[in-house]
Formats: sequence, C-alpha cells, structure tokens
Amino acid sequence: MLKRWIEIFSIIDFIAVGMLLSVIAMNSLKRIESCLKAYIINSSLLALLMVATAIYLSIPHLYLAAFFTIAGKCILIPYFLRKVIRQLKVTHDVEPYISSSLSLAASFAIVTIVYSVLSEGIFVAGLTRTVLKISVSIILISLFVMMTRKKAVTQVMGLLFMENGLFLAGFSLTFGMPTIIELGVLFDMLMGVLILGVFLSQIKKAFVSVDLDKLTSLKG
Amino acid sequence: MLDLQFLIILLFSPLLQGIIKKIKAWSQGRVGAGVLQPYWDLVRLFRKDMVISKTASWVFHAAPFITFLSVLAASMMVPVISVKGTIFGMGDIIALLYTLALGRFFMVLAGLDAGTAFGGEGSSREATVAILVEPMMMLAIFSTAIAGGSTSLSKLALSVDIFHSPAHVLALAAFFVALIAETGRIPVDNPDTHLELTMIHEGMLLEYSGRYLALMEWAHYMKQMLLFTVAIDLFFSYGIAGGGHGFAALSPLYYALKLLFLAAAMAVAESSRAKLRFFQLPSLLGGAFVLSLLSIITVIMLG
Repeated sequence: MLKRWIEIFSIIDFIAVGMLLSVIAMNSLKRIESCLKAYIINSSLLALLMVATAIYLSIPHLYLAAFFTIAGKCILIPYFLRKVIRQLKVTHDVEPYISSSLSLAASFAIVTIVYSVLSEGIFVAGLTRTVLKISVSIILISLFVMMTRKKAVTQVMGLLFMENGLFLAGFSLTFGMPTIIELGVLFDMLMGVLILGVFLSQIKKAFVSVDLDKLTSLKG
Repeated sequence: MLDLQFLIILLFSPLLQGIIKKIKAWSQGRVGAGVLQPYWDLVRLFRKDMVISKTASWVFHAAPFITFLSVLAASMMVPVISVKGTIFGMGDIIALLYTLALGRFFMVLAGLDAGTAFGGEGSSREATVAILVEPMMMLAIFSTAIAGGSTSLSKLALSVDIFHSPAHVLALAAFFVALIAETGRIPVDNPDTHLELTMIHEGMLLEYSGRYLALMEWAHYMKQMLLFTVAIDLFFSYGIAGGGHGFAALSPLYYALKLLFLAAAMAVAESSRAKLRFFQLPSLLGGAFVLSLLSIITVIMLG
C-alpha cells in the first residue's frame, strides 16, 4: 500500500527536490541561525528519503541509518553549532563576495549544467535517475556557497551541506552502504564539526573576528 | 450558454475582493466591512462626478476603457467552470497574458499623463515590478505547458489533474508569488492605503475619480479573479466540467471552493508578512524566478 503511494506520488523525487531547494535557499539567507534551520530541514529530508527508500525497496537496515542521521545531523551537530555561534557572537554574514541574486543565478547555472551532463551515460536508470543529479547539484552549490561567503561559520555550514550531498550521492548509487560505514561517516562528521568549532573559536581569539578576509593581514 | 461563463468573473470579482478583505480583517482581529462593500463602493463611484486635470490628454480618458476591456477580453479566454465555451475556442495562455499587459501599459501611461509626481512614481514602480514578474510568470506557465503538451488553457485544465511531479509544486510556488505581485498585495504593494509614499497601484490611480476610478477598480478586481482562475486551471483543475469526471453540475461549487481556498491563502499570506522595501523586491522576485527556472528544468530533464 505504502509502496504504491510512494510510486504514484513520486515521493522520492519530491523529497530530493526539497533538499535541493533548502540548499539553494542558503544563497539568499543572511542570518546564520536561518542557515542552521535550512541545514536541519535538509538533514531531516535526507532521513525521510532513507525511510521512503527503505519502505519502497524493503531494505530494513536503512531505518537504522535514518535514525542515526536524525540523531546526528538534526540534533547533535545543530546543537553544537548553535553553542559555537552563541560563543562567537556572530549573527549575520552580511557581505558575501557576490550579491544574493547573482549567486542564485549561479546556482541555477550549476543545476542546469549538472542536469544536462548527467542526463546521458550509465547513471540514468531507475531510482537514482533524479536523486543522483540532485545530489551532485547539492555538492556543487554548497561548494559555491563556501567559496562566496566571508565568515568561517557559514563556510562550515557549506561543508555540512556538501557532506549531505555526498551522502545522498553515495546512497543513491548503493542504496545504503553497510551500517558500520554509515556510522563511521557520521562519527567522522561529528568529530569534524567539533574540531572546526574549536578552530573557529581560536580564530576568533587570535583575530577578534571570524571574517576570513582578515586572515590575510598576517602578511603584514 | 457556456460562452457566457466570463460573466462569472465580471459579476463576482468585487465579491471575491470583499471576501479577501473580510478574511484579512478576521486574521488581524478586526470585524471588517461586509463582503458586499466593494459593490457599494463601485455603485457610489459610478454616481459621482469626475474631476479631471487640465493637462490630461486623450490617453487619460481612454485608459480606463482600454484597461477594463482588455481585462474583460482576457477573461473570455479562460475556462472558468467548463473547458468548453471560451469564446470561439481562441486565445491561449500567452495571448491572455499579453492582453492583460495591454491594459497595464495604458494604466502606466495614464499615471504619467496626469502630470502629478505620485502618478509618475506609481507608473515607474509598476513598470519595474512588471518587468520582474512577467518572465517568472511565463516560465512557471511554460513548465505546466510542457507537461501538458499545449499552451491552450482548456487543454491544460484537462491534462493537469494531480501533482505528479515536483516541477508542478515549484511552478505553483513561483506562480503564487507572481499572483501576489500582480494583484498588488502586501509584500509588494499595500492595497489598503492612499497615504503611503510606497504605493504602486494606488499611485497610478490617484488622479482618477468618479466613473473612471470605478472602471479602474473594477478592472483590478476582475484581473485578480482572472489570475486566480488561471491558477486554478493550471494547478488544481480537478472537477472542471468537460474534464471527464462528470461533475458538470457540481463544477461551480468546486470552482467556488477552490477560489475561496486561494483567497484564504492570499489573505493569510498577506497578514503574516510585512511590506518589503521597494529595493528589496528584486530579491523576493528573483528567488521566485529561480523557483520557476528550476521547475522548467526539472520538467525538461526528468521528462
């Protein structure tokens, strides 16, 4: 019953497009708190996608992966990042290198290129058809966001989005790696965020600001 | 008989405006005017005398009629409760949008013609918003047109039955923003005031009074209902007569319900947002433009 609904309403496509939208929203979000919310939405959609696939293809161990995704990416990482942001007292990333409408246009260009490049070749069959394209777009767009933002915090957010995209790409090709690997990836991510958090507060201590432009003043 | 379905738009559009205002008042905790108030406004305006500026040329006199008639002509192309009986079966979605654009063009000219500062301001703003909204609306419409395989609204209303693809949802979101901008609602323009320096639509009409003003206002109400109807035809046409569902008798009811739903959505969206500064509009409309672009690329690439 549920399987048929997922088929009819193409729920998997919808969730994947939702993930893409939440990444594109990053381009125009100025408040760091809203970026964090976009990340939480993105991760919950990822977990939802896993659940939908688990139901659709009857792969029970994906439920476990979805659970860990929610625990790690929707609760632990945002909680820790929020703490770091409070400590750093940065609320806005007001001056990205290019304007938000231009970066929206750029991310659209990225999506177009990805869609047209990946529409031929070996990866065009079955379930992965949409999801793979979208995951590659997510990776490239979040890379772009990392490049255009000045504050270190938003760059960390870009990295997190990128990891979600990579996870999605891997997931769409393999339908869930062995649980132990997924756990390992998640743990790595958590550690990465912890280290980056400490690193951020060190930057803040040494340079007073987390604006990465100011790092060049070292050269003196 | 069905050729006369455009009369529904002609006659009920002030009622729709009244209903939107009523819902808005409720959601803001006021009682609000009765739903028939726009009718009384129109009646009163039609009875009043006109004051016309000495510098006004023929454009000023022609604009109300051209605006009204262009909206009326556009509403003849739209399937309201039945896919049959749009006048002579002619006119597709592109013709419809550009018929509306003709009316808008003359409204902008009239705002400039009267020679007041506010009129010119309103006109230049209206033109700017129109430039931003039009491509977005066209793209949103094209994405449904590609999915439906036609640009004729009757065929689209038959083919687009259910949200079977993310492209439709994206297009709907973009179209909703376009609807807000086209009908002059709050994040873009404030429809309730003549006193702000930020007015767009009211700014252009500032020099009009009496019968001409009544025609302009009526045209605005009709345009609003017309665009709602287009949204219904494009995105949730379920239950329209001639659609093979056999709901011919019930289709007015379906239409009314869908219209009411859209009106409520519009009123709630309007009372939950603050008006944007004019120079922030491009980022809102640009975001919606990206939505419609994504929608069209999704529909092309996913097939």
